[in-house]
Amino acid sequence: MNKNKDNSSGIFREYYSVTRRDFLKKQGQAALFAAAAAKAGFIFPRKTFADQVPDIAVARGGPAEATMAAVELLGGMEAFVKSGNKVVIKPNMSFAHPPERATNTHPDVIRTLSEMCINAEAASVMILDNPLQGPELCIERSGIEEACRLVPRTSVRTLTSRRFFDKVSLDQGQSFKETEVMRDVLDADVLIAAPVAKSHSATGVSLSMKGMMGLIRDRGIMHRRFNLSSAIVDLCTFLKADLTVIDATRVLASHGPFGPGEVIMADRVIASVDMVAADAMVIDMFPWYGRDIMPRQVAHVLEAHERGLGRMDLENLVVKMVTA
Amino acid sequence: MHFKAIVQTLSLCFFFVLLWLASFPLPAWIPVDFFLRLDPLVFLGTLISAREWIWSLVPGLAILGLTLVMGRFFCAYICPMGITIDLSDRFFRPRNQNRTPADPDNKTGLRKIKYFILFFILGSAVFSISSVFLASPLSLITRFYGLVIYPAVVLAGDTALDILLPFNLMLGLEKMAYVELQSYRFATQWFIIIFFIAVFGLVYYKPRFWCRYLCPSGALMALMSKRPLIRRTVSKNCTDCGICRKKCPMGAIDEDPFNTFNQECIVCETCVRVCPERAIRFGLDRSEKTYRFGEFMPARRELMASALSGAGAAILVHTGIGGAKSDLLPGNILPDSLIRPPGALLEQDFQSRCIGCGLCMKACPTNTLQPVWFEAGLGGMFSPKVLPRRGPCDPLCNVCGLVCPTKALRPLSLGEKMWAKIGTSSVIKHKCLAWEWKRECLVCFEVCPYAAIDLRRVPEVPVPVPFIVQHKCSGCGACEYHCPVQGSSAIVVEPMEAIRMNMGSYIEKGRSIGLELEADPDRQRKPPEYLFDPDDPDELPPGFIF
Repeated sequence: MNKNKDNSSGIFREYYSVTRRDFLKKQGQAALFAAAAAKAGFIFPRKTFADQVPDIAVARGGPAEATMAAVELLGGMEAFVKSGNKVVIKPNMSFAHPPERATNTHPDVIRTLSEMCINAEAASVMILDNPLQGPELCIERSGIEEACRLVPRTSVRTLTSRRFFDKVSLDQGQSFKETEVMRDVLDADVLIAAPVAKSHSATGVSLSMKGMMGLIRDRGIMHRRFNLSSAIVDLCTFLKADLTVIDATRVLASHGPFGPGEVIMADRVIASVDMVAADAMVIDMFPWYGRDIMPRQVAHVLEAHERGLGRMDLENLVVKMVTA
Repeated sequence: MHFKAIVQTLSLCFFFVLLWLASFPLPAWIPVDFFLRLDPLVFLGTLISAREWIWSLVPGLAILGLTLVMGRFFCAYICPMGITIDLSDRFFRPRNQNRTPADPDNKTGLRKIKYFILFFILGSAVFSISSVFLASPLSLITRFYGLVIYPAVVLAGDTALDILLPFNLMLGLEKMAYVELQSYRFATQWFIIIFFIAVFGLVYYKPRFWCRYLCPSGALMALMSKRPLIRRTVSKNCTDCGICRKKCPMGAIDEDPFNTFNQECIVCETCVRVCPERAIRFGLDRSEKTYRFGEFMPARRELMASALSGAGAAILVHTGIGGAKSDLLPGNILPDSLIRPPGALLEQDFQSRCIGCGLCMKACPTNTLQPVWFEAGLGGMFSPKVLPRRGPCDPLCNVCGLVCPTKALRPLSLGEKMWAKIGTSSVIKHKCLAWEWKRECLVCFEVCPYAAIDLRRVPEVPVPVPFIVQHKCSGCGACEYHCPVQGSSAIVVEPMEAIRMNMGSYIEKGRSIGLELEADPDRQRKPPEYLFDPDDPDELPPGFIF
């Protein structure tokens, strides 16, 4: 515990170095695991199954390159977006913070995704969120609008008025059964979850599943009436992303969702067709508050897995890594 | 369009533009409270009740001075209340009717009422109770347009956007389709609207009923315009047809059309336009004619009586239980909900200045400023209060103090404003989702722009619970606003430890009493202490499960 207030910056540094070490250690473990897995035949040799689409793609590199590489591993954007499709991308842009705070998705990740959608002949790309702080400031300071300004047929919007929402029933919801969702999301052919990797003091982490709360009108009820983690799973039975791309170029490993916390410069982008698997992978890859956390230790990921929404059993999933 | 109509249109439009500009961020190049400063009664009433020369109100004095030269031109050409009443004339006056039958009321005492009101207000001002809000035309009309009409217009606009949404999308008008308007809601609206319906409806009996009989600012100017330098003169071409007398909206022309009641004349020049003989002009009057005036002036003892009743009312306000406002007397019965905006003077002085115009409320970007009704006592009607459940006081906004015409709210720099503590929050544990319901709710902690909420673990509660760090709390109400509990919030701001000062620096004061009110809306601040023991394998970081 930090008992000496005046020395907190020192403590902070110390934590940083500890996590850094842990992080590197974890990376080492991951490499060993990958090697062992390859030996055991979990991951098939590239030559024979060159076209094997992995369950989870992990790309290393800058935000734009890694995003592109991760999606390419899953078969490219054309596998998800067909000509004339309407696409909605759900980033984190709930905070009027610059990218280095790691509370919002990196603007280059979002720009790259929109460009890939447009190249796949999407009719339109809408980047939508219902932000926590002042909408104009969020759009501006996150850098997302500026980054997407030149991408054709692409718009960045924050929606809060009732006219932009439609009531839907969450048929597979167990407790949370009804909500209002942005109409543009309901009209979309493709939904892409593009959150930043960050910790969350109420739900452990805030990744693709938790991020879906930004597409509905009344989030308060999820806190108030229901068990938040179960309500997130209920919501994701309806708002199930077709593609999940998690921006772990910077990871807010503690004191999320607002920060400031430890920011790990991880240079990774994780992509999957399965929201739960993508979230589980990110939980497993990084130290949260300097701890090894397993996917089952995040209540909504565990529940989503148990309810068959997706899979968190990483040991049984095919993970491909690439350096962009 | 004739000259008067053009000037009236420009004036009213300018008033609307200024009212619209009174918002966040505030334009620096123009004083948005300009019209309020022109009101002579706002100048004189506030001068007396505040016992202080307020430079920003000098335009009102200038208008009084100009009245000596040009008569009550303000009423006809500038006053947005008068112009609005002229507009209402078109709706409420019966048509095809002889507009003003020979004025029977010239003999009645009705016209004296405005003087009674004026002297009542001035009488109460002597005892530092500002009743300017009751009848100052600029205060009334700003309140009317700002708190009733503006929210209605926004609502109408929003409804139009609702209806037009599919068309806008179909036509590809994305900008239009996705625009979102900030909606405003205000208290006391019904009183304001009923009052104005009465004012507008009364033109059924007499055009400019308000201006003729009731307006205290008009009365003040009338006192200055017994014989203005430029006034109505009638040439010998007059055939005594009486049209001018019938058309005069103020009933300011005597049965002898050569004679004008200058105090009542608002220089609208209707008589000039309707005279078939072109016998009337406004200019220097060189005739040595004697005027009958003062007919509508109440007797001195009547004015004394009005002033005394104003003074008496003020004394009653002081001696009533509502007068216990803690500044002057021991004891404070003002309610917990009466949170004054940042920079509000000591309550006594605040009430002696606030004219309830509502400009601060119109300008407030989060709509947290609301007019109070009786909460602050009779003297505090329509004065502003912070209603955190409606919206927080934005630490990066200082608009309310900047738009206040009478400086009842001090104009503060952003830095000073952040330190102008308006209250302190406290947690209502039995409503709190964390304390009582054991839910992982950290909303107040997340939204506090001053880092004044600490999360701690306590025995018996499995989740971290919020604590207020009092010396960091500014009372902004972000926590109360965002608290997801229904009904009243589980974390509530009260005026506890609000800093009320008439002068001096809030930063110095705050520092001297140990406050730390450095707002950090971007959360650059250091993380709070760790919520778990990183070395204890039996503890987990917040949010994770075993």
